[in-house]
Amino acid sequence: MSGYVEAGYVVVLGTLGTYGITLMVRERAARRRVGSVATAARHRLRPAFSAAPPDPSKDADIRAQAGDVSTPKRPAGEGSGPGTFS
Amino acid sequence: MSTSTRLLPKDRAAAALRVLGVVAFVGVAATVWLGLFVTPPDEFMGNLVRLLYIHPPMAWVAFLAYGVATLGSLLYLWPRTRAEHFDRLAGASAEVGVVFTGLTLVSGSIWGRPTWGAWWVWDPLLTTTALLFVLYLGYLALRRVPGEFHVRARRSAIAGLIAFVDVPIVYFSVEWWRSLHQAPTVLNPTTHKTYVHGSMAWTLLLGFVSFTLVYVWLVAHRYRLAKLQDLEDTEGLEAALAERRAEAVTG
Repeated sequence: MSGYVEAGYVVVLGTLGTYGITLMVRERAARRRVGSVATAARHRLRPAFSAAPPDPSKDADIRAQAGDVSTPKRPAGEGSGPGTFS
Repeated sequence: MSTSTRLLPKDRAAAALRVLGVVAFVGVAATVWLGLFVTPPDEFMGNLVRLLYIHPPMAWVAFLAYGVATLGSLLYLWPRTRAEHFDRLAGASAEVGVVFTGLTLVSGSIWGRPTWGAWWVWDPLLTTTALLFVLYLGYLALRRVPGEFHVRARRSAIAGLIAFVDVPIVYFSVEWWRSLHQAPTVLNPTTHKTYVHGSMAWTLLLGFVSFTLVYVWLVAHRYRLAKLQDLEDTEGLEAALAERRAEAVTG
């Protein structure tokens, strides 16, 4: 058999195998990271949740910076500028 | 609903994915064994025909992947069916499609060197396939451009639809232009005849089925990874919000 045939099989199977293993490793690492972030948010910061009520204006700023979908939109003019302080 | 009953469908999905992986692996192993050791050499190509048990399945899976990515993009763009999972499906399928397109080009090049005497020729089929590869690489690059989720998803979906225009051009290029690449041999659209028979045909068919299963397995894992990455971003955001609130209390 020519070396071309073996080379073709090695390239195809090697690439697919490497890609598949990489995906599984990345998935496992992501699962670990999600678990640790969630745990940290729940345990380390719990007193802060109970001590202070959420400030929607600050939350909106952070969500906007992160490009979050559910950013609450403030109507134009509301919350800043003259006429809103009462 | 208890925690155990909520986790049950996820466990079933993970188990099904594992079974799918094993079946796909066995199928590919059988294809390799039949292709390399059982099937006879071809009358004209000799042993080089063995490369054709993997090359056409690679091309088929690439087309399938781009078809699924396009369907996902369309479903995302359609307001009634718009959902994040369709965007994730499109991204996952396109990425796997790029891998298979790359392998189509490389395996074809390895076959072309001893058959045509060149690693690469600017044949219409090869050129349009290379263009397809570059188009979807661009699509994947576009998906990584930061931005608000739905804006990013919408522009990716539109780019995906534009890139898909090249798929029928690739397929029909051997018919439309004078091409060095041979016309389809499994089922020729012009003559409606099959030019592969016996153990060669069965091995090729097994190759198509096995690599399609590999595709499904890879897309499922890529989809799960994308979902976890999105969740990670959300969790990180929630943690940042909580830290800000904590600062507000202490400060």
